[in-house]
Amino acid sequence: MNLIFSNRKISGILTVVPANERSFVDEMSNFNFPERRSLKLKEVMGYDKHRLVDGPVCVSDLTIFGLEYLFANRLLDRDEFDALIVVTQSPDYIMPATSSVIQGRLGLKQDMFCLDINQGCAGFLIGLMQGFLLLDQPSIQRVVLVNADVLSRKVSTKDRNSYPLVGDGASITILERTDDATPIYMNLKMDGTRRDVLRIPAGGMRLPSSPETAVMAEDADGNLRSLDNLVMDGSAVFNFVQVEVPPMIDDLLQTAGKKMDDVDMFLFHQPNRFMLEKLADKMGVPYEKMPANIVEHYGNSSGVTIPLAIAHNLRHRVVGESINACLAGFGVGLTWASMLMRIGPMRFCEMITF
Amino acid sequence: MENLLAKVAEILEVDEVKPEDVLDGFEEWDSLTVLSVIVMVDGDYRINLSAAEIRDCRTGQGLLDLVARKATK
Repeated sequence: MNLIFSNRKISGILTVVPANERSFVDEMSNFNFPERRSLKLKEVMGYDKHRLVDGPVCVSDLTIFGLEYLFANRLLDRDEFDALIVVTQSPDYIMPATSSVIQGRLGLKQDMFCLDINQGCAGFLIGLMQGFLLLDQPSIQRVVLVNADVLSRKVSTKDRNSYPLVGDGASITILERTDDATPIYMNLKMDGTRRDVLRIPAGGMRLPSSPETAVMAEDADGNLRSLDNLVMDGSAVFNFVQVEVPPMIDDLLQTAGKKMDDVDMFLFHQPNRFMLEKLADKMGVPYEKMPANIVEHYGNSSGVTIPLAIAHNLRHRVVGESINACLAGFGVGLTWASMLMRIGPMRFCEMITF
Repeated sequence: MENLLAKVAEILEVDEVKPEDVLDGFEEWDSLTVLSVIVMVDGDYRINLSAAEIRDCRTGQGLLDLVARKATK
């Protein structure tokens, strides 16, 4: 479906990454795979370092650390936002919502709408959409959109499909109204028939976690994981992205009456360098317009990767000027979404370490 | 199409893949090479294969048949 917004802007982005950095080379002995093949995997996919929480760190911990930084540095006033959206697949609890946990721990005002959204790699786009919709309400002046995940805690260290690329982190994005009426175009699709491609089988009501779901078993490729772990059908995800994303971007540009050349930067979700370069090849986008370097520095932290791509590669540019950006996220659900919007000049765009 | 098995041989880092060769018999035949075959076939023939379809092929000939079948669709 096509959506359109106007008079909305991103006024600031803060990303929070864990200090704990691990490297593929140090971890590859965990994989049931000859070292030579692991090094080939590293080379082909573009794996190197990733940032993971150390110990039982939760989404609310990373987020509160970030929000307190914003309050302390006068980048955000604690009383001057009216909605807190938390997009995560690794909430602190099944209930209550992590947004309520954050509101309570920080002692935020009661005139506040707290909302959790269960979304992954398309979660930045879904969060922007919800935030822009909330800004229709006059009493909502400013929305704080949080994307945060600590999925490394759910990935088996012996799973070379997922462990080398997983990353943890949080981003805090400030959404506000603006006088600039330049339309923001969005395109969104979902396909629940392919819901099993990315999932954590146990831990919900369908299959509660138990000693049985914690038993490690070997798959056809020699990876060890349990039903409590995240499992991804990597080649199905690859095919999904290569088949669905290029026509989605074509549709988006056509709806907006724009051409590929009108876009300054393609800021896409970061599954790995390999998948993004194949996507750029297919779309005819030069690599310098599509950053693909987040997984090798921080890992793939689901909905956090687009803010990380901006903060890592463009932080000075988006504070100083305005760029035409094409955003796209694709993942669990399956969900794929894209947005064409002007980004910047922002009040701030920073990265801090937890 | 005659090129296909030469490309597979390149991916598997061997001199040759013959139609009768069992793919699983190659030392390098694993999830990473299957993904490389998906990418190669997508790039060269504009055909999307799934990992399961490739694994079901068993032999070089099986892969040739699969791509030929998909190409005519």
